[in-house]
Amino acid sequence: MGFLESTALYNMLRGPLVWLAFIIFIVGSFYKVYSLVKQAKGEKVVLPFINFRSFIRSVIHWLIPFGSRSWRLRPVFTIITFSFHISLVFTPIFLLAHNLLWYESWGISWWTFSESLADIFTIIVIIGCVFLILRRIFSPVVNFVTFKSDIAFILICFFTFLSGFLAYHQWLLPYKAMLNVHILFGEVMLISIPFTRLAHMFYFFLTRAWMGSQFALWGTKDW
Amino acid sequence: MATKVNEKEKVLSRDFPKYVRDIIKDPGLDETVQKLTPEKIEKAYNAVFGKLSSRVKAIIETCMHCGLCAEACQWYLSNDKDPTYAPVAKMRMTAWELINRKGKVDKEFVKQCARIVFTECNICHRCSMYCPFGLDITFIIGLVRRFCFLLGVVPQRMMEMNQAFMATLNQVWMSQNDYIDALLWRDEEGAPDLKGFKIPIDKEGAEIVWFPLAAEPKSGFYHIDRIAKIMHVAGVDWTMCSKEGWDSSNMPMFIRDFVTMQRIVKGLFESAARLRAKRIVLTE
Repeated sequence: MGFLESTALYNMLRGPLVWLAFIIFIVGSFYKVYSLVKQAKGEKVVLPFINFRSFIRSVIHWLIPFGSRSWRLRPVFTIITFSFHISLVFTPIFLLAHNLLWYESWGISWWTFSESLADIFTIIVIIGCVFLILRRIFSPVVNFVTFKSDIAFILICFFTFLSGFLAYHQWLLPYKAMLNVHILFGEVMLISIPFTRLAHMFYFFLTRAWMGSQFALWGTKDW
Repeated sequence: MATKVNEKEKVLSRDFPKYVRDIIKDPGLDETVQKLTPEKIEKAYNAVFGKLSSRVKAIIETCMHCGLCAEACQWYLSNDKDPTYAPVAKMRMTAWELINRKGKVDKEFVKQCARIVFTECNICHRCSMYCPFGLDITFIIGLVRRFCFLLGVVPQRMMEMNQAFMATLNQVWMSQNDYIDALLWRDEEGAPDLKGFKIPIDKEGAEIVWFPLAAEPKSGFYHIDRIAKIMHVAGVDWTMCSKEGWDSSNMPMFIRDFVTMQRIVKGLFESAARLRAKRIVLTE
């Protein structure tokens, strides 16, 4: 416990490891998308068929809750997955405490959520993680195709948000220890995005571009 | 006649205990699979999955295994929502397992793959419409079909159809004489009904060239004069091709025999180019 609470660990996590995590996240993500598009360009059978208009139409329909038939068929899943993903992406960006860190380091800041709103979003993410894990266990279709990595993604996300929530409320562990755990999980999450299937946050647009264009070619809609 | 199937007579999968099916005997699968060796399987694997294309990579690295595609699949819906019929499950049992094991699989696995991709998926693309990422699951199924085809493990009926195409470029073993004869016969049959009725054969410079399905001259011949009458009454400038390469059904596509697929499509376009037709009309 002493090590977890130590300022040395905090300085390490807050200093070089943050740089490392962000550099790997940004460079890695760019590289992943760039290499895939470059490979597709070399294959000559993908890019000529991309139709920008149908790509935009497809993405918009799938990014709106209940915008596609698949979403409408499963209303509970749709509501949970949308609130989960929105909270997951925007809470870290607009959290007051994160903003303060940016301000302390570089003197920049932007809009923030109120702390109670951020609390609600965090709880949504935690509940969403629990729901997704339960779904992986109890839904036969999902259970059949569950790999260890699927559970790992959810757990990384779950512990990041749970430790953040507990640190803010100063529950369970001492504040400093919980904060270090939170930063550690956050950095693991950032690093794992480009190298695992968490890259679906970028690939979503690429795969939708391909299928949206294909369905436009066949004269039908894909939502 | 419905017979009660004994529990012992089911196909049990070693790798996937949930995959239980009735035994279906098919020489195309049962006999060809006996000739396979691990080297052959690995060679076929390397030819298809050796270097993953960008589309395969994108599908494998994006799929979050959410199972939303299941709701789209008629196989899944009509089999009491058996999870092994879900599109993602079919990918998981065939392509992912092949890629995970780098092609080091045994005969039984190849047979099971062939059974899944040939007899439990129609390549209809509905799953792509239900997938939040729009992943082309059927493209992966097609690749596994290609893998099975390279090994010769294809349901007998599909393989025989393909052999008909290889030999005669149509799916019903119809000779060129029979084909032309069928056209001339339907020309005669239709003549009394309409004034000036004629099935124009090899008319150069016509606007439309119509390629029938092989079943039409073979068994559904009345379709030929019906279409001809429609064309005649509509006053369309059209023609039919007498040379080889008139069958528009591309059955080799279903087992991903690229060479024969190409011969058919190339044949149709070359026929149309030779007749200097502006448009090609196919029977669906």
